[in-house]
Amino acid sequence: MGYIVGVDIGGTFTDCIAIDEAGTVTIGKAPSTPPDFQTGFVDSIRATAGRLDISLEELLQDAKIYHGCTVGTNALVERRTAKVGLLATSGHGDAIIVMQAGGRLTGMAPEYIAHVASQTKDEPLVEKAMIEEVHERITFDGEVLVEVNEERCRASIQRLIDAGADAFAVSLLWSIVNPCHEQRVLELIGELAPEAFVSVSSQVIPRNGEYERTVATVVNSLIGPAMNSYLRDLESDLAKLGYHDTIHVMSCSGGLIDAAYARELPVLTIGSGPVAGLIGAGALTRAESSGHEDVITTDMGGTTFDVGVIRGGQPLSRPTTRYGQYEYFVPTLDVRSVGAGGGSIVRFDADTSTLRVGPQSAGSRPGPAAYLRGGTAATVTDADLVLGHLNADYFLGGDITLGIDAARDALSAAGEPLGFGAAETAAAAARIVDSQMADAIRLASVQQGYDPRGYVMYAYGGAGPVHATALARELGMRRVVVPLSDLAAGWSAFGVASSEAVVVEEVAKALTYPFDPDEMNTEWARLEDKVRAAMTGQGIGAETLEWERLADIRYSQQINQVAVVAPQGDYTPVVAQALVDSFEREYERLFGAGSGYAAAGFALTAMRVRARASVSDFHIARRDGTNGAGNRALTPKGKRDVIWYERSLTPEPTPIYDGAAFAHGMRVDGPGIVEFQDTTLVLRYGDHATVDAFGSVIVDVG
Amino acid sequence: MSQAVEELQGSTAEIAWDGRLHSYRSAPDWMDRVSDELPLYDQIDDQLDPVTFEVIRNRLWTINIAHGEAMTRISGSPTFQALDFNMCIMTEAAEIAMNAPFLQYLASGSPMAIRYVMENFSADPGIHEGDVFIGNDPWVGAAHQMDVLVAQPVFVEGKLFAWVSNAGHQYDLGGIVPGGWPQNAVDVYSDPTLFSPFKLVERGVMRRDLEQMYRRQSRMPDLVALDLRAQLAGCRFATEQLQEACRQFGAPTVKAAMKRILDNAQRAFAEKLERIPDGTWSEVRWFDEQLPGDRGTHRMQVNVTKEGDRLRIDNRGTDEQAEGPNGFVFTGFAGSLMGVISVSMLADQMFSIGGAERQIDFDPTPGLLTCCDYPAAVSGGVMNILTHMNALMVIFSRMLACDPDVKGDLIGAGPEWPLLVLAGTDDRDSYFGTALMDASAMGSGARAFKDGVDTSGPAWSPLIRLLNIEASEQWYPIVYLYRRELTDGGGAGRWRGGTGMEEAVTPYRATAIEAITNTGGSGVSTHGCMGVFGGMPSPTARYLLAKGTNVERLFGERIVPDDIDTIEAESRELLRAKSNGAPFVAGDMLEAVFTGGGGYGDPLEREPERVALDVALGYVSTEVATDLHGVVIDGDGAVDAARTAEERERQRAARGTWTEVSARFGEPETPSSPATGEAPVSVHEYLEARDVEGHRVLACSRCERVIGDYRGDYKLGLLMHEGPLTLVPLVIDPAHFLDEEMVLRRFCCPGCKTQMATELVRSDEPLLAEFRFA
Repeated sequence: MGYIVGVDIGGTFTDCIAIDEAGTVTIGKAPSTPPDFQTGFVDSIRATAGRLDISLEELLQDAKIYHGCTVGTNALVERRTAKVGLLATSGHGDAIIVMQAGGRLTGMAPEYIAHVASQTKDEPLVEKAMIEEVHERITFDGEVLVEVNEERCRASIQRLIDAGADAFAVSLLWSIVNPCHEQRVLELIGELAPEAFVSVSSQVIPRNGEYERTVATVVNSLIGPAMNSYLRDLESDLAKLGYHDTIHVMSCSGGLIDAAYARELPVLTIGSGPVAGLIGAGALTRAESSGHEDVITTDMGGTTFDVGVIRGGQPLSRPTTRYGQYEYFVPTLDVRSVGAGGGSIVRFDADTSTLRVGPQSAGSRPGPAAYLRGGTAATVTDADLVLGHLNADYFLGGDITLGIDAARDALSAAGEPLGFGAAETAAAAARIVDSQMADAIRLASVQQGYDPRGYVMYAYGGAGPVHATALARELGMRRVVVPLSDLAAGWSAFGVASSEAVVVEEVAKALTYPFDPDEMNTEWARLEDKVRAAMTGQGIGAETLEWERLADIRYSQQINQVAVVAPQGDYTPVVAQALVDSFEREYERLFGAGSGYAAAGFALTAMRVRARASVSDFHIARRDGTNGAGNRALTPKGKRDVIWYERSLTPEPTPIYDGAAFAHGMRVDGPGIVEFQDTTLVLRYGDHATVDAFGSVIVDVG
Repeated sequence: MSQAVEELQGSTAEIAWDGRLHSYRSAPDWMDRVSDELPLYDQIDDQLDPVTFEVIRNRLWTINIAHGEAMTRISGSPTFQALDFNMCIMTEAAEIAMNAPFLQYLASGSPMAIRYVMENFSADPGIHEGDVFIGNDPWVGAAHQMDVLVAQPVFVEGKLFAWVSNAGHQYDLGGIVPGGWPQNAVDVYSDPTLFSPFKLVERGVMRRDLEQMYRRQSRMPDLVALDLRAQLAGCRFATEQLQEACRQFGAPTVKAAMKRILDNAQRAFAEKLERIPDGTWSEVRWFDEQLPGDRGTHRMQVNVTKEGDRLRIDNRGTDEQAEGPNGFVFTGFAGSLMGVISVSMLADQMFSIGGAERQIDFDPTPGLLTCCDYPAAVSGGVMNILTHMNALMVIFSRMLACDPDVKGDLIGAGPEWPLLVLAGTDDRDSYFGTALMDASAMGSGARAFKDGVDTSGPAWSPLIRLLNIEASEQWYPIVYLYRRELTDGGGAGRWRGGTGMEEAVTPYRATAIEAITNTGGSGVSTHGCMGVFGGMPSPTARYLLAKGTNVERLFGERIVPDDIDTIEAESRELLRAKSNGAPFVAGDMLEAVFTGGGGYGDPLEREPERVALDVALGYVSTEVATDLHGVVIDGDGAVDAARTAEERERQRAARGTWTEVSARFGEPETPSSPATGEAPVSVHEYLEARDVEGHRVLACSRCERVIGDYRGDYKLGLLMHEGPLTLVPLVIDPAHFLDEEMVLRRFCCPGCKTQMATELVRSDEPLLAEFRFA
């Protein structure tokens, strides 16, 4: 068994981590190389090999490569996508243009929702001219009402080809209950455009709801050609270097899929970066504790703050995700983003006479005022610097020198209308952004029926550990973990490497209560066969699979369903009833005692099978060089003035620690600042930090 | 007349706003009548810092959003799914500190209902922690009987600290027609069942007897029970979250933040009002069909007077209420105003309308169509609230255009909501009956600097959601043949209104279906909504029922019909704006069209390239491009510049032949207002107030021609064309529906011929002053 290699392509850098058989982790990075990302990919592995003093080929020998891939995401964001022709049911081609009317605004920032006169629609994913309608119709019960008009359909496909379509999306009404028309259209495209990338909605995501399904199908085709050529080139480059094994690609559902599957369903890779971070946290939790810990992950970067929740070792998932104002179906872990990060702009708002922070961001260009790249707007990073939380000479390990005077000027200007000086504005900005992040955590936890006070916070991302202890206090959380603190930058790559292969298959159903156990048995078996085939196709033995069944159930006159974990094994009426009982329990947990209404009856709308399998013997080494019993106070490397605004605005001389020297068996008591290469941990009065056997910093929040 | 009503009328010397004959409105001294047994939390932290304030303000917004999400997820009803509800957080005195971005006119009712409960029930049966009150009495805070209000008091340390509430539209609550909009209800006794506010949950425990009584009124009791649970769970969630915030920040601090939100909103609103010149703005609209089949139309007028930093609204000029569901109650009158203010003047305050409400004097005359008294039928008249609201959006567009800093916030009106209700049974003998909520995807009005948004949803309910076809077809025994964006559905203008949609259905696996229509204003007979500053109205909605068509034969020929006008049919019937129960059977096809927003500014000023793009995308027809925008599109879809210039010149020249308004409606008021010495100020897209020869006048801002006195009706100084409504695309002769003659008047500057105004009236109407400055 060779190295486990995790590679995560980011917008700026490609990170690589290699874990050897002993569980020792080595990281390396190289600049990302758009549009030929595979070059940066190989460079990052080469850099890691260099750290290990071995050759690239040696590292790749017997290695397993796991890949966090943002090629699809980037193509979408930068609109460098395929020209997609969409084929929809006659009369319904506009669904993707209408965008569910105001439904498109759900989840937008409050400021945008409130300012109605500024609202618009996002640019169309597919221009109207690239949408063709197919004369055909399936009804809700799966009957064929109108057969496919093949003559017209061929003409439509040809027109799209002539208009320059290099990929197709087929999304017909009710294909989820009867896919025969979509299959036929797929065949017709195959005849007329055999080379074209085609996505078919009933294969991309067989769920009720043509809008969200169509968007998923279109997104898949938009990035399909780019992902295909990228993965093909990558496979060929790696083959030249002697790597012939499968490349496992991270998906947003939290598991790895093989490259062949990713080429068919690239939509699954969108959003996989934040998901990888969440998975990494889960893997570390399992290594460090019994694995049943409840965790909230927080990733604070330059422009966004991402929140995820792990409950009893299982990350929470959700049925849809958003790309701008477009919402689409995809099995994804629930990672929620809000516009709060180091680059979030701090400004005075005259109408409310208050300071506001974000959601606008200065990004990295021009960036915070302190970056001295021409930015004049005050940002959260400027505030952190003025408060003394950041070190002007050791930001990103000294890669950027921060200008504290510029930060101070920008903050003074923002706070001036309130009579605030730089320090007071900085303190205010920190409190406001912390409260916004806390609100985001509340929406992700409290609203889902989970109380964050019983959770541990995992804080990563460059700015995460700066704000984590304040956030934890605001939420009443008692413990913060900075996972594998020297890996902060390579965290997503670590998450990718720690992932398992996951295959999910689902089917839309319309079962009424009492649910027919025979039909369920047949359907479970069918889904499990599909999953097993997909897994063995990746070379994964059926005996290693861990199975999970989920059923979407609702009260029969409701619209929204609740996903319930369904029992394994053979179904009898008793088992089917047990499933209903667990639905009612979950429902009341979500919405409160007494909110259920059994008299309405029950409906089962979807069945889902999920299997996972470990594809490596991934484990993390303990690095207890010391015996761990000690409780030695780490010696500070110096002192600087820090404003602990929760006490006063008077700067206090505060010890500063070198993160690299902070090892297992040592402790740091707050107040104090621990400076790592890629992040900074702020310990407040009453906080106590130690390092565990794996190298994670554990903070008990005072 | 019923004995109950006789007694009420007999005993009333002056207007008693007590929720019996007239709507309940809290008198200034209402708190004096709240029982001492209800302790109020009045500690307040007067040291609240601006940062904590911002933190708490965001928290309250988050609570409201989460409250809405929880309700959507629990509810079963398609109307909740489309977000036909709203929720708010109020002070202990029921002032709205935080409103939510859902259906705006619903919010105003909560304070009324809660104050009614506090005034009348605080001693008996009392108001305690864990209690929940519900009600749908239109004279006590409900917009109509279908919008059931649920309110929960929030206690801290045993004292009443705040209220949280939501109002949501129910699937069915009885009455003589399924779905809750009976068009043939002559009075309230035919409407869905009315519940004055009552305590359903006592100290955390729901009264099973009362719940049963409530459910028993509905044709669909299980759905009503689920929706009730959704509403109760939403209030409970919000209550717990607010109490948690009090624990975290300290209740006096949260109280101070709520107070400051109100004070800030009040101040910000007052400051915005100060920027607008004093004056009175008026709009007239028409409510068709007192009862189904009525070929008359009925006048509604709303007048908004701005003086200094205060606003007064009245309904003088509105017809009296009569039999039939053609009016609405005070909740709708006040709610539609607050809704417009919410979306166009309080963006920075995140819709916190309670503070703004302090600056407003409501001055309605009861007994008129826009402030109906008991026992009018009002459930089916609720769509006219939107007519009123759209009239107010035009008024506020004119007001906000007077100041450059707030001009960008204005939004033109959107169209009427044509409500199509299908009721019946499917072939599994399941009963169904509700409105298709597809008009959720209507287009929005043009703004001062950009077009309205196509199929955006209405401005007054920003998050409203168009349901999937696969959701609707699962519930109702129909097949949608098409649902697509409409050509020419928005009003033409310098900026055009966003367009709406057209859709057609045919029965599928149905045993029996009846189609019921309900449209506000004159949305089927005359127009969708008005434009502003010379922008054109948007077209009418339509419901077209084709009986005995060849759809099934076409299906067999592998054709899905895509145009009801060309399909073979035994007969075709345009359904009236309000109708009960047209049979809809297999082989029939029913088309519903809902349109978009009004235009902004003279259509001839629109850039030809934008018009060409609209034509290419199917939003505007080539005919409208030429007839209304004066743009000639060549065979390749490009602008023919030379012919466009010619056509525009021709149309401007034609305007020169229009009648002088003064010749028909009396002399323009000659300048008499003294000069002010102030610089010229823009008060209209095409008018500025300026000093000319010792007088303050209104002058054309394009050609500087003096139009009239500053305080006069500027339209008297313009040229006018009075023509048929069919000048607006897709509109048919209103004589099909109405006996009264309706006309479209267009007005232009006599100098430069810029089209400055449009109005749509009964032909015998005098000129209506859009505004008069004080």
